[in-house]
Amino acid sequence: MAPSSTQHVLLSPAELSYIHASLSHNPPIRPDGRSATQFRPLTAECDILPGTNGSARITFADGTEAVVGVKAEVEKSRAPYQVTQDELIGGDGEAQRAGLNEWVELSVEIPGFRDDDSMPVFLAAMMSEALLADGEFTKRLWINRRFHWKLYLDILLLSPPLSYPLPLLSLTAHLALLSTRLPRLKSELDEDPLFDDDWDASVYLYPRNKQSLLHRPPVTLLVMAVSDNIIFDASKEELAVADVVLAVSVGERPRSNEGDMEVDSGKVRDLRLLTVRTVDPPSRLTSSGVPNVLNTATGGTAATTTEKASSQREAMVEEGVWQPPRGGAKRKLIAAMISKVLEQGGVAEEVMDGLDGVELG
Amino acid sequence: MPLDTSSYTLALLRLDGRRWNELRRITAQISTTPSADGSSYLEMGNTKVLCTVSGPIEGQGTRERDRADIRVEIGVAGFSGVDRKRVGRGDKRIAELQSTLQNTFASSLLTTLFPHSLININLHVLSQDGSLLAALLNASTLALIDAGIPMLNYITACTAGSTSSYSSNDEAADPLLDLNSAEEQELPFLTVATLGGGDEVAVLVCETRVQLGRVEGMLAVGVDGCKQIREILDGVVRESGKKVLQSRV
Repeated sequence: MAPSSTQHVLLSPAELSYIHASLSHNPPIRPDGRSATQFRPLTAECDILPGTNGSARITFADGTEAVVGVKAEVEKSRAPYQVTQDELIGGDGEAQRAGLNEWVELSVEIPGFRDDDSMPVFLAAMMSEALLADGEFTKRLWINRRFHWKLYLDILLLSPPLSYPLPLLSLTAHLALLSTRLPRLKSELDEDPLFDDDWDASVYLYPRNKQSLLHRPPVTLLVMAVSDNIIFDASKEELAVADVVLAVSVGERPRSNEGDMEVDSGKVRDLRLLTVRTVDPPSRLTSSGVPNVLNTATGGTAATTTEKASSQREAMVEEGVWQPPRGGAKRKLIAAMISKVLEQGGVAEEVMDGLDGVELG
Repeated sequence: MPLDTSSYTLALLRLDGRRWNELRRITAQISTTPSADGSSYLEMGNTKVLCTVSGPIEGQGTRERDRADIRVEIGVAGFSGVDRKRVGRGDKRIAELQSTLQNTFASSLLTTLFPHSLININLHVLSQDGSLLAALLNASTLALIDAGIPMLNYITACTAGSTSSYSSNDEAADPLLDLNSAEEQELPFLTVATLGGGDEVAVLVCETRVQLGRVEGMLAVGVDGCKQIREILDGVVRESGKKVLQSRV
């Protein structure tokens, strides 16, 4: 609801070039002294809404807050368009389990934006894309050949978007899905589904064995780069000087043997990349500084027309004078950013382990 | 139907075990969202409402020159009811709730102290189980107090209903305090809000049909309920103030 000018960071060209120079340093010097892969503290809680199948709330250190509620309804499945011989015979139940993307409906609500504004629509599309990318999620919603679960994820951003809200919403959705429970099925095969009334007997959507989860929902992280430094959990000021910003969605490969992974699995996860999207960094909207040679106040000569002014400015690359980044990123840099997210013992694993530790009510 | 069970006729207990003049469990916290100027979280039974207030801030082309403008936005979450239902912001019912809140606070807040400015009240309904307008009013009051916006007094609200349907003529109809959603669907009820827990009624909304003779009883019970809620909310504000003072020592 705040006027849109507060969403842009009010920094002068001198401050922008100062932050850019300190982030380009090796190792990068961040304004709050964190390391490149260090996240700010956040508070997370699960199962806060007893009227939903699953819910979560996460508050970031800068005060932004999100709540996600998951509700499930039983829906009749449409008859498949082409019924093959195998399906008619009624083969192995596991092999037939296939989900459809339309069984999941995701909606994002941001205060101050209408439902059909580009930001909520785009965020919803990015998050559902990550969720449905590997096809594993919709399989869990299959009940029998005639019925399935329809899952509704309602994502509410409670505070006005100060910084790009995608990682906050993604982490909250991840946590809500981890806490989602569905009633236990009592009926068998293809008869009308009948469920156990006892909520204590309900089954987690992402079941867990004694050690850890067997499969987890995806997580989307915002990764930025300044020169060759890759930086995670960027604050507003850091995003204002970014050269490249990527939204990377990471999922986990489902474990093949569910029984004997207890001893040697340890913390090794099999992460895989689901989606990568480039995000236009807010640094492109900043205004550039004026070098001394083009400024009459400091003894230079200013250009007479605006075309000359912009062409002179473009040609000049002076250290210490801020210029918004133009052009794209090098392929090697993009590859380095993606592999940094996915590496063993890296950021994605740390985030997933952290979320796993949140106590499920 | 909520009162058709034997427990009401025998022991005068409602479905959730309350008597006619008992409020549901009301809990509230203020300063729940540090990034906003004022915020609160209120639960009346299972009705859960979160409110954030920003203001007074610079208004853009505000309607009135000599006082602050108040803008209310209500967002009902899709998961708030028993069935998932997505309600768009242009819904007529929501628009009416917004306008009721706007008019109420325009008269109780000292808006003449902030000409040319804007006060935004943002409400999120996380769970609905009756007394929606009352919960919205109470949560807004707390958030406005947290934001430090001067006001004449607390606006506290609650619902009151009657055990009779509008056509029956029985004299034994009792008024009921603080209805949940099952009771609201079957029985006539009204929402009343008072200024400062006294007898001044600030808001009175009745959308169901009821015999005129019953209204006075319902109103009296409602106003009494508002007084009780004012004590609860005042306790929350004082508790929070104490914590702030202690942390500064």
